[in-house]
Amino acid sequence: MAGLELLSDEGYRVDGRRAGELRKVRARMGVFAQADGSAYIEQGNTKVLAVVYGPHEMRGSRSKALHDRALVNCQYSMATFSTGERKRRPHGDRKSSEMTLHLKQTFEAAILTQLYPRSQIDIYVQVLQADGGNYCASVNAATLATIDAGIPMRDYVCASSAGFIEDTPLADLNYVEEAAGGPQVALALLPKSDQIALLEMNSRLHEDHLDQVIEAAIKACKDIYTVLDQVVREHVHEVTTLLGE
Amino acid sequence: MAPPVRCCVPGERLCSLEEGAAGSGTYTRHGYVCASLAGCLLKTSEDGALPVVSVVRDAESQLLPDVGAVVTCKVCSINSRFAKVHILYIGSTPLKSTFRGTIRREDIRATEKDKVEVYKSFRPGDIVLAKVISLGDMQSNYLLSTAENELGVVVAHSEAGAQMVPISWCEMQCPRTHSKELRKVARVQPEFLQT
Repeated sequence: MAGLELLSDEGYRVDGRRAGELRKVRARMGVFAQADGSAYIEQGNTKVLAVVYGPHEMRGSRSKALHDRALVNCQYSMATFSTGERKRRPHGDRKSSEMTLHLKQTFEAAILTQLYPRSQIDIYVQVLQADGGNYCASVNAATLATIDAGIPMRDYVCASSAGFIEDTPLADLNYVEEAAGGPQVALALLPKSDQIALLEMNSRLHEDHLDQVIEAAIKACKDIYTVLDQVVREHVHEVTTLLGE
Repeated sequence: MAPPVRCCVPGERLCSLEEGAAGSGTYTRHGYVCASLAGCLLKTSEDGALPVVSVVRDAESQLLPDVGAVVTCKVCSINSRFAKVHILYIGSTPLKSTFRGTIRREDIRATEKDKVEVYKSFRPGDIVLAKVISLGDMQSNYLLSTAENELGVVVAHSEAGAQMVPISWCEMQCPRTHSKELRKVARVQPEFLQT
């Protein structure tokens, strides 16, 4: 990229962050009344809504039901107005289908699906504004919505991306940094047990650098975790005090 | 004033397995009891036994019908082999969404199974108490049984539209027309009658 400096000599990124710094995270749980669980999250300018229904009886073809655990059904969509150029179809294209599968894998690892045999859990995620790290924000929003729905989980799932620009690992990439085409890692972590639920990498990265990039992503996930934890605790506290009156 | 309740979040370690047993809303990992829900910690201790650690939420989380559970359901259609029902309650807990179930002809009563006829036992619209006997296989859904004295029709309406009164274990009478209709009537246990 000519002319655009992604990391200045002083160590600042295009939006003024340090290498390991996250964007501002704001989150809210229980934004809809009709869904079993819902959440809204903002990570910088990336804004995502997630709703969760279930567990309920199998919808559609009953042959898909699993006799020993619940089926996790995800749908990822991006609002037509979420990107710089207006999108034609909000979901069903290649990128969205891939994202849907990734979300499904991530949440099958985290939800205690064996408690609900032969039933279905629906997770719907919509990106309202895309500014990089869509997968990560979707996972974080869906985690909050699942907790709001009261679906038992092993742990939170926190996701964050990391990149590698000018020999420095950068956490939580924004759209400009993603579009520069450097290597990019998306990582979903179960922070209490340090287990990785999903790891994905785009583009080429030298093996020697992989460890430090993953390290940066894990660090970012743990930072996300402290923010989400605070949001959940505040929400639980709010609900219990309302009930106590 | 009640002692402040401890809030817990999924993945939070509550205690070791030696200190308490895992109740609802928790699971065990590496010899520790961990929370799987966000809610308040509840310890119920029976004397002598380990205290049961559970996490409770404001709203009761979704239940699923389990084998052996007594459910309240509404008959939605019948044919000569089975009655299809919607499960509305599990025990005394209302469900957020209904589940479909089937009462086969041979599961309607315990004796003289071969002489049972579905239309002499249930009619669409009846409210029935039944027990879950199987979660069903790939094709079928929950299989229910009313083969006990305490199970069967509890509320039924006659052809005239009045709510009928049970007069025997297999008959109900309409208070308006005094016509008798056949049902597999439940002998409702007194503890359920306080409504």
